[in-house]
Amino acid sequence: MTLLSVRGVSKRFGGLVAVNNVSFDVAAGELVGLIGPNGSGKTTLLNILSGLADPDGGEILLDNVPCQGLTPERLAHRGVMRMFQLTRVFRRMNVIDNLLVAGRALGLGADEALARADALISELRLDVIRHLDAGQLSGGQMKLLEFGVCFMVPPRIALLDEPFAAVHPTMKEIMGDFIRSRHEKGQTFILVSHDMPVVVELCPRAVCMNAGAVVIDATTREVLNDPRVIEAYLGGQAA
Amino acid sequence: MAPSSATSPAADRSGAQLSNTKTTVEFRAALVAMAIVALIPLGVSNPYWLGVLIVSMYFAILAGAWNLLAGYTGQFSLAPATFAMIGAYTTGLLNHYFGVAPLLGIVAAVVVSGLVGLLLGRAVLRLVGPYLALTTLSFAEIMRLVASNSIDITRGDLGLGVEGLMNSRVGWYYLFLGALVVLLILFYMLLRSKAGLFLQAIRDDEVAARRAGVNVVFWKTAAFAISAAASGFAGALYAHFAELVTPELGLIGQTGLIVSMTVIGGMGTLAGPLVAAFLVYVLSEWLRDVGGYQLVVFAALVIIFARFFREGLWGLARAAVKRRGRA
Repeated sequence: MTLLSVRGVSKRFGGLVAVNNVSFDVAAGELVGLIGPNGSGKTTLLNILSGLADPDGGEILLDNVPCQGLTPERLAHRGVMRMFQLTRVFRRMNVIDNLLVAGRALGLGADEALARADALISELRLDVIRHLDAGQLSGGQMKLLEFGVCFMVPPRIALLDEPFAAVHPTMKEIMGDFIRSRHEKGQTFILVSHDMPVVVELCPRAVCMNAGAVVIDATTREVLNDPRVIEAYLGGQAA
Repeated sequence: MAPSSATSPAADRSGAQLSNTKTTVEFRAALVAMAIVALIPLGVSNPYWLGVLIVSMYFAILAGAWNLLAGYTGQFSLAPATFAMIGAYTTGLLNHYFGVAPLLGIVAAVVVSGLVGLLLGRAVLRLVGPYLALTTLSFAEIMRLVASNSIDITRGDLGLGVEGLMNSRVGWYYLFLGALVVLLILFYMLLRSKAGLFLQAIRDDEVAARRAGVNVVFWKTAAFAISAAASGFAGALYAHFAELVTPELGLIGQTGLIVSMTVIGGMGTLAGPLVAAFLVYVLSEWLRDVGGYQLVVFAALVIIFARFFREGLWGLARAAVKRRGRA
């Protein structure tokens, strides 16, 4: 069953076409890798999907209901949760409160939110820093915290933008295990990453973008062996 | 990797307590400070100094209200004194022209200033930083000039005479103290609730707050309205204490004092601005003879605290307690 449908979505910044007539579907429970070289439009597409940018054209359907133009908070309540490439946490609030914000805003009661925050803290191995302000954490710990925020209330679809970038291998493993276990339970993901071994390991399917457009949408193995993808990454040297 | 076992209810409870510990400690410290303030009339009977302390409490309410907006929500408005003026004129005009009882006038002042705050909050919703500060400063000056030039209605700079509530200065002292403690308790309850979480989340990162599902439009507007209503309440109370309302209540210098008190006390802390309101206002009385130069002193203090002691006097006190604990 299709959960998210992206149909002919475009976005321009002046003369630059950042997203060009992009279409693909994501079925419920799928884990889709979104790859492409820098500047290919992946983050802009996630901005559109998470309500931070309005598309200039096209349509986005969530559960077959149009959702383009909704605010990020409305989309969060409809189950679209976004992790940013450049980490965004509440720096003057402690780790627990960072998690509680999402839990309480998405309708959990105080006790339930706290229980979920504690469970996530344990699962993401953040116990030692649970009462530290987020601003005092290392870059990797902040990423892990933001990752946790996305799962305070299990989302319909998690949009993860470069969760593994500049992160210690141990933390990468924690996030990888978390994604794998949630995927096995039916969680839907779009995962943006430049870390190809991880994409290969986690994502059965991948969509590759270049210059704002979809180059190929197939199994991850097929995508990575496609000459157009190699050309997009290596700038034509492999052609 | 298998998820770790679920945490026990006991751990949840301890988490809940620790999560709100900072606010609770600040609240208790503020209550202790207010208890000390409550004892002062036992040793000080000089009406002048009681008056100074009453005005300090007026400013403490304004600093607390502005701190909710600027310190906890990150909206640097430059109109706190204006809302006090709006509250004062609301009860003043109702009393002067329609004979409305002061208590009813004070309630009306809270409602009117809260509504004006709500409208201003909606109007400046998308403004941040210097744009927000300049827009609210313009609003403040426009409102003050309107009050000053509407001579037929407000009597302009001559001031509007209003009815007092009582003659006892000690009575006024405890009325202001009671009002301050009630507002302190209300702010504490607000900050302990999910509203407190949302306001601080908006302050730290508005985009991340929206991503987390926080209704930023609602909570930013609510913070403006609550802060304005509390300021209007202080202004209305002050109007009946002074028995006179003038546009001077909305002078930018008054806002300067409120900002100084909050920054010196510690923005985003519950106790700091309240305690600093007393210190700064008493200091301003001591410096009365040097006239406008006192502003230089306060400006220098604000710069020093903003640059070197971001958490103000409260932060310094906390660091000192920690050091003593380690020793």
